[in-house]
Parts: sequence; structure tokens; C-alpha cells
Amino acid sequence: MTSRFAPSTARRLIRAGFGDVARTERLLADPALRSVLPDLAEPDDDVLAAFAVAADPDLALLTLARLAGAVEPASSELLARVWGDVEARARLLAVTGASAALGNALVARPADLEILADDAPGTGVVAVAVREELLVAVGADPRAGEPVATAEDATSRMRRAYRARLLRIAASDLAAGDPGQVMPAVGAALADLAGAALEAALAIARAEVGGAGAARLAVIGMGKTGGRELNYVSDVDVVYVVEPGRGVSEDEAIAVGTRLATALAAACSATGTEPALWPVDAALRPEGKNGPLVRTLDSHRSYYERWAKGWEFQALLKARPVAGDVEVGTAFTELVAPLVWSAAGRENFVEDTQAMRRRVVDTIPAGEADAQIKLGPGGLRDVEFTVQLLQLVHGRADESIRSANTLEALAALSAGGYVGREHAARFAECYRFLRVLEHRVQLHQLRRTHLMPSAEPELRRLARAAGMRAEGAAGLVERWRQVRREVRALHEAIFYRPLLPATAQLAPEEVALAPEAARARFAAIGYRDPDGAIRHVAALTEGVTRRAAIQRQLLPVMLGWFAEGTDPDAGLLSFRKLSEQLGTTHWYLKLLRDSGVAAQRLARVLSTSRYVAEALVGSPEAVAWFDDDAELTPPPAERLHSEGRALLARAPSAQAAATALRALRRRELARTSAAQVLEVLDARGAAEAVTDAADVVLAGVLEAAVDEVRRERGLDVAPSTMLVVAMGRLGGREMGFVSDADVMFAHEPAPGVGEEEAQDFATAVAALVRSLAGGLGPEPPLEVDADLRPEGRNGPLVRSLASYTEYYARWASTWERQALLRARHVAGSHELWARFAELVDPVRYPAGGLDEGEVREIRRIKARVESERLPRGVPRARHLKLGPGGLADVEWTAQLLQLRFAGTAPELRTTSTLGALDAAAEASLLDPGDARTLSEAWLLAAQLRDALVLWSGRASTAHADQLPHDRRALLGVARLLGRESGGELEEEYLRAARRARAVVERVFYD
Amino acid sequence: MDRQQEFVLRTVEERDIRFVRLWFTDVLGQLKSVAIAPAELEAAFSEGIGFDGSAIEGLTRVTESDMIAKPDPTTFQSLPWRGDRGGAARMFCDILTPDGEPSHADPRYVLKRALNKASDLGFTFYTHPEIEFYLFEPFADPTEPLVPVDQGGYFDHVARGNGHDFRRATITMLESMGISVEFSHHEAGPGQNEIDLRYADALTTADNIQTFRTVVKEVALEQGLFASFMPKPLAEHPGSGMHTHLSLFEGDRNAFHEPGAQYQLSKVARSFIAGLLVHAQEISAITNQHVNSYKRLWTGAEAPSYVCWGHNNRSALVRVPMYKPSKGQSSRVEYRALDSAANPYLAFAVLLAAGLKGVTEGYELPDGAEDDVWELTNAERRALGIDPLPTSLDRAVTIMEGSELVAETLGEQIFDFFLRNKRQEWAGYRAQVTPYELRRYLPVL
Repeated sequence: MTSRFAPSTARRLIRAGFGDVARTERLLADPALRSVLPDLAEPDDDVLAAFAVAADPDLALLTLARLAGAVEPASSELLARVWGDVEARARLLAVTGASAALGNALVARPADLEILADDAPGTGVVAVAVREELLVAVGADPRAGEPVATAEDATSRMRRAYRARLLRIAASDLAAGDPGQVMPAVGAALADLAGAALEAALAIARAEVGGAGAARLAVIGMGKTGGRELNYVSDVDVVYVVEPGRGVSEDEAIAVGTRLATALAAACSATGTEPALWPVDAALRPEGKNGPLVRTLDSHRSYYERWAKGWEFQALLKARPVAGDVEVGTAFTELVAPLVWSAAGRENFVEDTQAMRRRVVDTIPAGEADAQIKLGPGGLRDVEFTVQLLQLVHGRADESIRSANTLEALAALSAGGYVGREHAARFAECYRFLRVLEHRVQLHQLRRTHLMPSAEPELRRLARAAGMRAEGAAGLVERWRQVRREVRALHEAIFYRPLLPATAQLAPEEVALAPEAARARFAAIGYRDPDGAIRHVAALTEGVTRRAAIQRQLLPVMLGWFAEGTDPDAGLLSFRKLSEQLGTTHWYLKLLRDSGVAAQRLARVLSTSRYVAEALVGSPEAVAWFDDDAELTPPPAERLHSEGRALLARAPSAQAAATALRALRRRELARTSAAQVLEVLDARGAAEAVTDAADVVLAGVLEAAVDEVRRERGLDVAPSTMLVVAMGRLGGREMGFVSDADVMFAHEPAPGVGEEEAQDFATAVAALVRSLAGGLGPEPPLEVDADLRPEGRNGPLVRSLASYTEYYARWASTWERQALLRARHVAGSHELWARFAELVDPVRYPAGGLDEGEVREIRRIKARVESERLPRGVPRARHLKLGPGGLADVEWTAQLLQLRFAGTAPELRTTSTLGALDAAAEASLLDPGDARTLSEAWLLAAQLRDALVLWSGRASTAHADQLPHDRRALLGVARLLGRESGGELEEEYLRAARRARAVVERVFYD
Repeated sequence: MDRQQEFVLRTVEERDIRFVRLWFTDVLGQLKSVAIAPAELEAAFSEGIGFDGSAIEGLTRVTESDMIAKPDPTTFQSLPWRGDRGGAARMFCDILTPDGEPSHADPRYVLKRALNKASDLGFTFYTHPEIEFYLFEPFADPTEPLVPVDQGGYFDHVARGNGHDFRRATITMLESMGISVEFSHHEAGPGQNEIDLRYADALTTADNIQTFRTVVKEVALEQGLFASFMPKPLAEHPGSGMHTHLSLFEGDRNAFHEPGAQYQLSKVARSFIAGLLVHAQEISAITNQHVNSYKRLWTGAEAPSYVCWGHNNRSALVRVPMYKPSKGQSSRVEYRALDSAANPYLAFAVLLAAGLKGVTEGYELPDGAEDDVWELTNAERRALGIDPLPTSLDRAVTIMEGSELVAETLGEQIFDFFLRNKRQEWAGYRAQVTPYELRRYLPVL
């Protein structure tokens, strides 16, 4: 019966943390267990409280039962003794509750219970004592300069001694109240133990290798071993250094050293009667796995001086002699130290570290992304990387921050003023937490793993082992996620925040880097002009305004994003300009601060495209779109047109109307270019959006001009109806950011108006259209080019429909037919356009195609254009417009097909180049493969032209027509087009153009 | 610094080498050399040696003339002909752009790229060239009639012939440079010799051929003779070819060998040959790059003018040599169009690419030619599907222009340069009025 005052055994067991009550009760009734530990029959509160401390009380009890069943009489007494001592019992339950592997080992060798009975701690022991312990175990003299193992079966003895001490360390670790607190000491103890094992293994190797004295071998610990922050199960990273013994040649020393190193590794990791300890990994040595296993000091020096890459110095930062010849080991660390601490000044340091950082963040095996404690964003590696990078950058000038140990280094960085105190403390806390998780996960089976378990019971055990009994499994996972997020955030804060100047009113616990340190850090992340960057940051963040306060929050992380672009300096400068313009608006900084994407997108755009940067400075309100893809998507043409009409209606004068329309276009160019850089919009979409904006300007400006001229002349009704016909790229809806608007003007006199008066009026209107759209003004111009009109510049600017009719009936030359292929309505009377189209359709789509003479004429003109129009000094193949396989080649080919066949095949009647090619393929007038080749080359050339303008910000067409030679320009363009290498992009274009040219030779010229 | 580099520095020290010549090759196959002092060697290893590439054929684009030559320490060799004391040595170089990327205009890089493609498929490419050349008495004016050093014929032992001494001296020198010679003999033409290099991986062979040409020229000079690799120096005598044996290995196994198959040729070998045949016309401008090359190809006398293959057929373009039962590893095919004036890097690259294309696309091998294809009539050859190789450089260049295979193998920039250069060569040749024309037409017209 259960009384109200005495809870049932089941409830008491549950409260103690047992999961399976029935089984627990059965185990407690186990006769063998009872006979050795009688108080378990009716466990009192003390006993249950002791179990409650164990990570997995069920596992602990099961192990106890197995121990009780297995022990011989001598060991039963030992078990009882351990049980009788409260502290020893706590250690026993902590170990058996957290680690199935250590429990199994105890069952297999109950004599090791003695270790738990002993209250000498496993942590905080001097390394020399541990070394001595393992050397003695293999029968070597710890005081000898080169100890040699004498014991039989030394390898097994060494491994047993190692495991005994491992048990002691685990006991101290698991029985400690706060695992995070004791973690650094545990890491140090494990590293010392690994060092001692390497020393003993070397003693064994000396016994096995003949003439071992020839080589003075030092074992250098790298990675976590070197940093004295090892975890329970890990490869031990080493580098071997050898120097010849007295009177021995270098070659012989290397030969003997290699044998010693091989035998040493075998003692630690070959299979034997005792299980292996861990793999000894020498892959961090010069040339990695392909390099010789051992090298002399000189050989190391020449390698590191000449060949080592950035990451190798980062690795060497952790180098520490751990076993073997002390003098040689010390000489090695003295040798590499100056190299490590000058690494940040080496060429390619920035690129190397950026690549490393990407590796840190990216290299997670598929499927583990959500479970990795070590890798991935916010993992242990992320913490270590951040600390090491800061050490490399600032350790050059400051010796105090050169510790190989992550936590020590972090503390020193904080003390030295390189990292804010508060940030450093929180970073350290995250690191300890992650390390504790890693330790506990590994301890359970003593396996090398860095994965969070996923099953509930395992998570529960982990939570209890990590000192989060109350929070439980769910609390643990939540905390872990939170720590990962925090690590990521702190990386930015730690790395970039101190770049803010001291004058920026920082919170008292934060730091500002000294000027020299700030310069080093800016340079290390890729800013070419650190002084400029420092000035910009100061200008943005100084002062007591709310603006400066928000910038101080924003800027650190944006500095990192700028650094990911092709031109961080330009990005920061543009950001400053933009912020100075917009700083007082209420939404700008708030948006950047609160939006999930706006700030990052802004940083990307500003640091990869000068054109967009300038466009944004001109249209700062555009920043508001960055939060929303829908805002970045160009509005449909119809909406732009109604906006244009509204502007027109409101404008007090033609000049004002033109300014407003040009502003509209400026805004749309900004939107389109930003959308293209952010890959919200593809190249064809961008061309259409740019064309739409020009359409709206022309339509509006024409209306304004008609009104203006009519008013000037005091007329009530316009004496003539106007039409603007789009030609060229405008007609084809294929405009780039710097294209002119090619047009033709036409008019039709009103009934009863004289030809001359109407012509005079129309000419005035056309001239005004050109100056309103393209003349001087506060907003960027749209140049209107009417050179494609009949007779070109010699002909009248405007013609009446009758005059066009007469002209085309008599004169239409082949190139005029060709130009008319791209004619479409853009502004003015639709009725007039219908009649104009009726007039020109037979000219551009001749019913009988072209006769041979006309075809020959087109080919001849094209051939002449090729040789004459190409500017001097430009390699032909690199000219995107006029070079072989360039834009003109493809366009002429499409147009020739149209002229020949559109009379009979109406589907060819399109103003678009790609549309014409598609239609020709569809109508079997062009091989589909050829059509694809031409389209691809045309599209790539068009994209390259756009990208050149976007990258350079230069608005001259001449510049945008050439594939650049300059490597930086090539790379900038390649990045905008989503390619990694400028050289590859160059090959890609030259190849596409060559193939297109081959098609042109066949289809156009033959 | 790696071991190879240490070795180089040590050797330079021990042998008292005063100059190290850094060698590289321009697009046309001309060897270029920059000499540096041993003191500069370490810097050359770590950073390379900068030079102005704009003066070198096809090596660079006009506006970017700074190039870097980075020596390959595995190619270090002392040069035996530069006197005894204070000698010289050479290394081949890779050409890099100023930012350290391999230059797309470096022929050695073209071959390396092709070899990498093969290695992606698990193959290594081995070549074994038989290099022919003429020895002449020195001359002042190359248009005067040439005087060969002897009047011997194929395999003739010419008593105390200059050629004999010459071959011995050459071979001694080559061997002292670590280049093994397989075979050497007097060839069919007067003063004509052949020396066969031992087979090696294609990059080593190409380096060796460049060295070989230099050694032959050097030895000839020492002996008061003049050596020429011109494909067809004497109209009435055979030209100088460079028949080359090709084979692919998968690890240690000869991938061309299959016991029991016809001629012991594996499927890989058969489609490799098919690839060579299908693309032979396109790669002709590379394997036979000069106006003069086509005079060798089109004057009979065993010249491989027609695209066909045969087992031991000495008139076929691709010959499958007699199989030696005990030597499975020696299965190989011989490509016979190549001449001694080709750029070996580019030539090996396109040969490999053509063969591999056959392998990856699984080309079917047509029947082999049994007859002497020269004896057949045009109609017979057409009936058998046997095409001619291009009859002139002009034709070869036109065909190459349409070749995706060659463009991809050479890279767009070398491809473009090469075409332009060869069109110029043809135009220059066509502008000549030759003694033949004068003799033939002047008296009667």
C-alpha cells in the first residue's frame, strides 16, 4: 500500500531518473547484486539521490548488476568498498551512468575499480607525472634522455595504463558539478595523457628499431593535442622532426627517424591484444600525405618559407612539442613561430582565409547538417576559426595573444583589446558548452563522433550528462540551437564590431581597435584601402544621433558582407554616400536593421556593381525594395504607362513633364539593374524592363511636345497627327542599360491643313521630343537617335506618311528594308501606325523574298561593315558587337532570313532577334541546332555587355562592347554572371562566338 | 621547398653550374630560353621569372605582356655541350599569368590539360617517336643546292661516315641527359638519319623531343655539319617524318592489349584508332604545320597520304605493328603523318584528344587496308571509303577551322592564333615565284 507520506518505490525511482521502473525493480531484486551491495535491496533516499546524479541511472544500475555478477571474491570486496565511500560511489555512478564503454571495461577488468576508489584527481595533474606513469608502465626510465621500453608486451601495458588514466580523468570530469567549468582542465589532462602515450610509444619504438640513437626524433602535437584541448576520442595530429645524432649522416637519421615514427604509430594504433588507442595522423606535415613522414629542421624551414599555404600556418599556430627530443622540438617551434606570425602579411592571405572560412561553413557531410556539433555554421570549428584568424591578424604585432589554446587565446584577445569583453565571455561560454556536448557524446561509447543523437532517451542522457538535468532533452536541443545561432552572430560581432572607432560611443564593455590593429583587420578581410575604410566607418558611426547608434548595430555585419563582394572598398564608400543621403529618412536605417534580407542584398549590390551603386545613390528610395522580391520585379508595362499618364496630367509644363518621366525611367533602371545583380531577374527580363521604361518616356514626351508646340503657336488643334516608330534595339525590345533610343518620326496633316504648315509643326515637335528626352536636365537623359530614317542624317527629321509612301516606292534600299524589320509603334497615333505598318510591311516582308542581287547587296554591306566599323586596336574576336560571332553577326543573319522568308512565313514577322531565330527554326528555315548556337552566342554577348556596364558603372557603349583584358574586370564580370573564373568566362565567350561565326558563314554568307 | 627542388639546388652547387637555362616553347614549337644565374634559382622556384611575353609567338595577348616562367624541377638536366667547367643546365617551364593561373597560351599547358582529361578517364598516354632528319654540309645560302654529308641509303653502314660518328655522339649526349635512345640508323635519303627515343609519358616525350632537336643541332655544329628537321628538304628524296607510337595505360596495364582479339587489339585500341582516323584531317594542320609538310605527305615513298589503317601496312596512316607474343605491354599504334617540325606538345594533345574521342564516343573501326593504298585508283579508294589527308596547308587550315575537337583541345586563344598564323604562312608562300615556275614557264611564255 502506498501511504500519503511515503511515496511508492516507483515514484521514488522515477524521481531519481530511472526510465524503466519495472526493469529497475527487477534488477534491484537481483540476488547477486543484493549479496554484494545489500543496501540496494531497499534503496534509501541517499542511495537514490546518488543515482539521480548519474546521466543514465538505468545504465548505471545495469552495469552495477553486471559487476556484482562478475566479480570474484576479491573484487566483490572492492566493489563494496567503493560503494561504501560516498565520493567513490558518486564517481562509480557518474562513470557507469555516462559511459557504456567505460562500464563494459570495468566489467571486463573489475580491478580497475581501485582507480575509482582512489580519490586522486584525474585533472590538474602535472604532465611530467603522467609521462612518468606511462613510461614506467612500459619499463622505461623516465629520467633517461631517450627512454627505451624494456617490458615484455610493452604495447599492451602502455595501452592499459592509458586506459586506467583515461578512467580517472573521466571520473573527475563526470563527478564534477559544472562540466563547463572543468572542461578546460579535462582537455588539458587528455592532451597530456596523449603526449605521455606518444612518449611511451616512442620508447617502445626505440626498443624495436635498431640503432635508434641515430635519430633525435621530436613529436610535435598539432591541432587539439597541440592546443592542450583534446577531446576524449580523436585522431592525434602530429608532425615529426628529426635531427641526426652525433656523427650520423642526415640520410641515415631520416631513415631511422622514419622507422621510429612508423613503429610509434603502430604502438598507438595497430591492432593488438589490447584495443588500439587512436590513429596517429601525420597529414598536417609538409606536402601532406605525399610528403616524407619525417623531415629535418632545415627541410621544414625551406618548405614553410617557400611553399606553405595560408592554412598550414593556421595549423602551425597550434604546434607544441609533446614527446621525444625536447631540444629538437623546441627548435622546431622557434623555427615556425616567426613564420606563423608573419603569415597575415603574405600574398593571398585574404583569399586563402576566405576560402578556409567557406570550407569551415560549407563542409558538412550531407544528412548531418542538423546534427553536427563540430562543423557547419555555429559549430566548434567556427569558434576555433574565428579565434585563430584574429590571432594571425593581430598576433603579428602582439605576442600576448599567441596561445595555442582556444580559450586562453580568446581571453588574451579580450585582455589585449581586440575583442569586446562581453563578446569574448559569451563566445567562451558557447565554446565550452559545445565542447561539453562533444565530450559527453563521445564518452558514451568512446567513439569518435561529433553528431548530436536524435532519439529521445539518448538526448535525455546527454542533457543529464551535460548538467542540464532540469531542462531535459527538449531544453538541451533548444539550448544547442541557440548556441549555434549565437556563435554565428558572435563571429560577426567579434570580428567586425571592434572595427568601429572608439569615438563611436561604444558600450563600456566593448572595445575599439587601435588604428594599426584596425588597418590589419580591414586588410585581412580584403579591403584594399584600410585607411579609407576606417574613415568611412568613423564618419558613419560617430556622434550621439539615433542614426549613428543604428549604424553601430548594422555596420559590423555589413563590413563582412562587403568583403564578400568583388570590391569591398567601393561597396563601403557607396554605402556611406547612400547613408548620408538617406540617414534622416525614417525608414532607411529601420529597414536595414529589421529586414531579414535588405541589408545583405544592399551590401552585395554595392560591392559587386558600380552601376547599381551609382543608380542607388541617384534613386535612394530604391533601397526600400530590397526587402521584397515583388518590389524588385519591374512593374508591368501597363502600370508604368498609367503612371506616366498621371505624371503628364500633373505637370505644369512640358519641361516638368519630361523631368518627371525621366525620373521614372531612372528609378526603373535602378530597379532593373539591382534585380539583375540579385538574380531576381534574368537578362531577357531586364532588357524588356529597360525598353518599357524608354517606351513610357517617349510616349509621354511626345504628348507633352505636341501640347507645348501647339500652345506656343496659339493653336487650338494640332495641325498634324504624330507617330514615333521604334527602331533598332528599342524596336526589338532588347535595350541595354546604356542603349540609345532609335526612332523614326512620322506625321499626317489634319484635314484642310497645308502640307508645309503641318511639316513645320511636326518638325518642331520632333526636335522638342529629342531635347525633352535627351537634353540637359536634372534627370538622366534618354538619347533619341533618328539616324535610321530615310536618307539618314541628310533626310528630313520627320516625314509625312505620304512622303514615306513616295520614298519607299522609289528608293527603299536594302539596308532600309533591314532596319524596318525592327519597326514597331512606340508613341503617338495608333491609327497612323496601322497605316504606316501597312506601308512598310511590303517593304520589310517582301512577298517574293529578295532577289539574288539584293541578297548579294546585304552580304556585301555586312562584309564592309565588318572591316570598317571595328575600332582600331581592338582584337576582332573580343568585340562583342562587331566581332566574328558577335551581336551584329547574329542579328544580320536573323534579319536576312526575315527579309527572304517573312513574306510567305508570317511567323517570322517579329522585331526580336531571338524571336526571329526561334520562328525560323520552327518554320524549318534554319536548323534548330544552328538557331540554338546563334541564340546562345547572342545572349551571352548581350549579358556580357550588361555585366560590363553593371560592373564598371561606365555608361559608354564603346567600353561595353569589348570583352575586357584586365583580369579584375574579367573577374568582376564573371562573378556577376555567376561564374567563378574570369579565364573560363573568356574561353566560354570565345567558344560561343566561334561556333556562332561558323553558322553565320554558312547561313548568312553561303 | 620540395625534394626535387632541393635536388636541383644541390646539383647546381656540386656540379658548379654557372647558368640555368629556363626553356619553354612557343605556339609554333620554337624553343625559347632564358638564362638565369644559380643565385636566382630559389626565387625562380618560388615566384617564377617574369618576362615580356608580347614578343613571343602566340604567347600572349597584346595588352597583357607580363608573363611568368615557372621552372619544373623534375625536368632539371645539365647540358653536356657547354664545356667542362662552369657548365649549364636546363629546366622546362610552365607559363603563368601574373596572377599565377596557367597561361592558356602555353603549349605545355595544352598538353597537360589533354593528359588530365585522359587521366580523368583512368588513362595515361605514352608516346615513342622515331625522329628523322638530314645532315648537310654547312652552307651560306639556303637556296643553293644542298649537299648531304653522305650518299647512303636505308640501314646502310657508311664506312667512317660522318653520320655514323654523328649518331654516336648524339646518342652519347642524349643518354648523358637521361634521354634513352631505342634505335638509330641511316635512313633512305642521302645524309638522312633516324633516331628513336624510348617510350615515355607524353609530356616527358614532348620535353625530350625539344631537347633532342637542340642536341642534334648542337652536335652537328660541333662536327662542322648542319642538321635539319625540315619535313621535305630535298625534292627527290624522302622527307623527314616523326612516326610516333601511341599507347594508353590503365595503371600498369596496357589498355590497348587484349589477348585473343584480332591483332591482340582491345576495344579501347580499336576505337582509339577510329578516333585518329575520323579526326585525322582536322588535326592535320597541327601534326603537319608547315607549307613544306605537305610536300612530304604527297610524294609517295611510304608517305601516309590517305586516311586508313592497316596491320603492318607501311602505306597506311595508322599502322598496327607486328605483335610480339611475349610483350603484351608493348601493344601500340603508330601514327605516321606527324613530321619532325611539329610542335610536339600540341601534336600529342590533338592526337590524344582524337583517339580519346573515339574511345568515349565508341567509334567503330572500319576494316583495315590490306593493299598499298598508293597502288589503288581514286575510284577504288573512294569505294573503300578511304579519304585523302589535306593536300596543302591551306586545305588543312580550312578543315581545322571547323573543328570543335581542335578548338577545345588547344583552347580558343591558341586555336585562333594558330589559324591566323598559318593563313599568313600560306599567303606568304603563295606570293612566291619559284625557280620551278621560272624554268617551266619563262622559256615558253
